[in-house]
Amino acid sequence: MNNNFVKGSWQEILDWAQNKSINMLHYCTGCGAIELPPTMTSRYDMSRFGIGPAATPRQADLLLVTGYLSTKTLRRLIYTYEQMQAPKFVVGFGSCTINGGMYWDSYNTIKQLDKYLPVEMYIAGCMPRPEAILDGLLKLKKMIANGEADGYKRYEENLDFYHQNQEAILGEVQRTQ
Amino acid sequence: MRNEKDLLQLINAHFDPLKLEIKRKQNISVEFKKEGLIQALSFLKSHSYRHLSTISCVDWLDEGEFELVYHLFSYDDLINISLKTRIKRDPGIFQTAKEIWPVAEFYERDIHDFFGVKFKGNDNLEELILENWQEIPPMRKDFDTRKFVNDKYEWRDYNGQKHTD
Repeated sequence: MNNNFVKGSWQEILDWAQNKSINMLHYCTGCGAIELPPTMTSRYDMSRFGIGPAATPRQADLLLVTGYLSTKTLRRLIYTYEQMQAPKFVVGFGSCTINGGMYWDSYNTIKQLDKYLPVEMYIAGCMPRPEAILDGLLKLKKMIANGEADGYKRYEENLDFYHQNQEAILGEVQRTQ
Repeated sequence: MRNEKDLLQLINAHFDPLKLEIKRKQNISVEFKKEGLIQALSFLKSHSYRHLSTISCVDWLDEGEFELVYHLFSYDDLINISLKTRIKRDPGIFQTAKEIWPVAEFYERDIHDFFGVKFKGNDNLEELILENWQEIPPMRKDFDTRKFVNDKYEWRDYNGQKHTD
């Protein structure tokens, strides 16, 4: 869609619609994924808030990075993220994505997720309870409605920064474009 | 169905192990010289110990040795048996068990990833779990994990303080 056209009030309408329907990519990287089934199913039921799971990256808006991320998984995560269509949001999940958490001295897990992918917000905890996840996702909804969740734009603007950091850890990374 | 003592007698009658031990019920550990181990594996396989659970490795840095442990299980006797042997850390080469259990190929690739032990006869020792690993194998005792992490990753900065301080 033309960027000049998608501005002002039209963008507000898009943001409003976007925050009512978030498709979460069901891609689980670490132990935090175990908190998602109760969040999705009848006990906490996040579809009350218009959030549901999606099967493929191309259909998803939200990428949850659930817990520790080994460098091997990071490569797959980057491929997944670059396949997703904008607008797309990344939420870091648990202390491992914030500063390494209990894997802070592991040779094979990354310590700061936001160096490699544009993170909208972090949900702290090891692991965060479903209440914390829902709280975080509701805040994300507000951010989207206010147009503050602009990670995919930051990724495009600072592409060199992210690519440099990714390649420093992984070596060569295949690009989709 | 054999019990633990029968099994020890059976091994003693056919081999010359360095050490035999009943750890606890249904759990036996036997140490072999490295020459006799592969033979013992195929002998036990023909005596109902058909299941190779895993192969593990211990790095004894001070002795300059790797200890390889083969975990077998019998569905008839319901006994776990660990067969141990020690090889020199340098050059760290042992025989493959691929001919006896095809699945051993993957366990050996795993050990080659993390300890750098080579297995003669196993030609497919490419990386199984690690990816683009350039350093010495990470589970060796002389691999300095802390230094590696400090060199490779940046810590998050909390107003001049690091959470690792």
